[in-house]
Amino acid sequence: MLIQQLANGIVLGSTYGLMAIGLTILFGILNIINLAHGEIYMLGAFVAYFLVVLWGVNFFFALVVATLAMGLVGVVAERLVFRPLRDKDEINYFIVSVGLLTFLENLGLLFWGPEPRSMALPQASQTIRIGEVIITVQRLYTVLIAVGVIIGLHFFIKHSRMGKAMRAMEQDREAALTVGVEIDEVSSFTFFLGSALAGTAGALMGSLFIVNPVMGFGPLLKAFVIVIFGGLGSVLGAIVGGLILGMTEVLASSYISSAYQDAFAFLILILVLSFKPTGLFGKR
Amino acid sequence: MESGEPHMSLSARKFCIGCGFGVLLIALPFLVKDYPLHLINISGIWIILALSVGLLQGYVGEISMGHAAFYGIGAYASVLLTMKGGLSFWFSLPLSALVTTFFGFLIGLVSLRLRGPYFAICTLGFGEIIRLLFVNWREMSGGPDGVTGIPAPHPIYLPFGGTLAFGSKRANYYLIYGLVALTIGVMYRIIHSRTGKAFMALREDHTYAESIGINVMRYKRLAFTVSTFFAGIGGCLYAHYEHFISPYSFTTGQSFDLVIMVIVGGMGTLIGPVIGAILLTLVPELLHAIKDYRMVIYGMMLMLVIIYLPHGLVGVWQAMRNSFSKSSRV
Repeated sequence: MLIQQLANGIVLGSTYGLMAIGLTILFGILNIINLAHGEIYMLGAFVAYFLVVLWGVNFFFALVVATLAMGLVGVVAERLVFRPLRDKDEINYFIVSVGLLTFLENLGLLFWGPEPRSMALPQASQTIRIGEVIITVQRLYTVLIAVGVIIGLHFFIKHSRMGKAMRAMEQDREAALTVGVEIDEVSSFTFFLGSALAGTAGALMGSLFIVNPVMGFGPLLKAFVIVIFGGLGSVLGAIVGGLILGMTEVLASSYISSAYQDAFAFLILILVLSFKPTGLFGKR
Repeated sequence: MESGEPHMSLSARKFCIGCGFGVLLIALPFLVKDYPLHLINISGIWIILALSVGLLQGYVGEISMGHAAFYGIGAYASVLLTMKGGLSFWFSLPLSALVTTFFGFLIGLVSLRLRGPYFAICTLGFGEIIRLLFVNWREMSGGPDGVTGIPAPHPIYLPFGGTLAFGSKRANYYLIYGLVALTIGVMYRIIHSRTGKAFMALREDHTYAESIGINVMRYKRLAFTVSTFFAGIGGCLYAHYEHFISPYSFTTGQSFDLVIMVIVGGMGTLIGPVIGAILLTLVPELLHAIKDYRMVIYGMMLMLVIIYLPHGLVGVWQAMRNSFSKSSRV
């Protein structure tokens, strides 16, 4: 029972982690707190849903398309909404993202209505037994894909030219600019990467649970909790925080109260903010 | 300063415009039909709420993203006080506002230690927790179905016979806008006092404010407490005016609406939140064509205002007036 719960916690935690990494690199590199991150997640889920259900596309292909499409949405959002505010107070990024959130969520409601939809993938109902744990095939894929994406991301940031530019921006913005890091290029790319991760997370969660236009807000808040818990800007913190939150939620809802499942996340948030605002792995 | 004469006539003109406006406001309930009056009343409640958020956002420079929770606490507190406690609305109005203030004080103790986006996220977290309490604590809140049959404000029996009843939209108009006027009056006094100057010093520069001897925490707490008091008043009015409340009236979406009202109207002014609240509650109802797109337009408006008009509509008005007076001087 306990091990089964922990396995469910890992499934939740790994997708939360993907969301949170996107949010945290935007903050770490560009100092942008993007509340519309959850709407990108929602759009990613819808892209995958439409591809799978309307066009009968293979889920993995749909996942790749959703990921890339959301990366592009992120690039457009950076160019139109965030870049004009670059030289102003950072709180403006935060406020403008509330506008983007409201805009995208309600546009989704207008087009697609509030009713929940399901991708109804065959592998979502097949189960597989690993030791004591019984898990659906789709959930297993979800964890494997999330882990694969995180490892890939790690190597990308460590070794690629753009990854190095991103790290340089994170460590010292001024110095990075003087040695010739192109701020526009890095901004666009960071948004591409962060939003693509949200798209992946959305498509994965959409395949496990339901898809509807308001699905993004809950995971956004959780990603926030994770990012603040792990330390804003820390990728490792986002991964660890994601797993801890996934486990906490699953355990708390089965042993304490499921009605307040979401409240635990916020309680963690408020406790961390009150006692250690820099989070577990944060620098500032 | 060359001659007092044109100055006097200008202020006399202002006075006349003010009087005309006042008469119009008093006569308004007799000039419009029932449904528009209802919308005007609702927008009056939003004016109080937007002013409450605007005090923090525009003068102290901190954005509360959980103010709908305080609005909700005011509403639920008054429902409990009147329906379970048997109190009259007139006692419940200040009491429910004080209950809200108490919660505001507690939440402020934790959240006000943070600044900027951290404060905003922390208040958002508290807002969500309180919303979950409204949904799940059935014995207290009636659960997701909400509470129906909330009484209208109790009639006042005048000493020499006659009663003031509050069953009609018209009577509620005077009640709501009386409290709007009170809110504006109190906030005006605060802003134009030493306290208000201290708030604005905080907004401009925390470290500087501290260095000239302003007790930062004390003033932030004061602003938050006053702000939540008025949010409570708004909640109480809403409950007794609509006769029905549910957790869906007090979500983070509503908190965002308030932030949008303040920014679109113009931060750092009193008239800004008033304009924002009227614009965002009345206009979509009056223009039926855009009603369905209301929220999409709000989001769009917020983005455009932040990028192109950082001082909101009030800023546009001031810029227009400045350019007009410049060109007339030349």
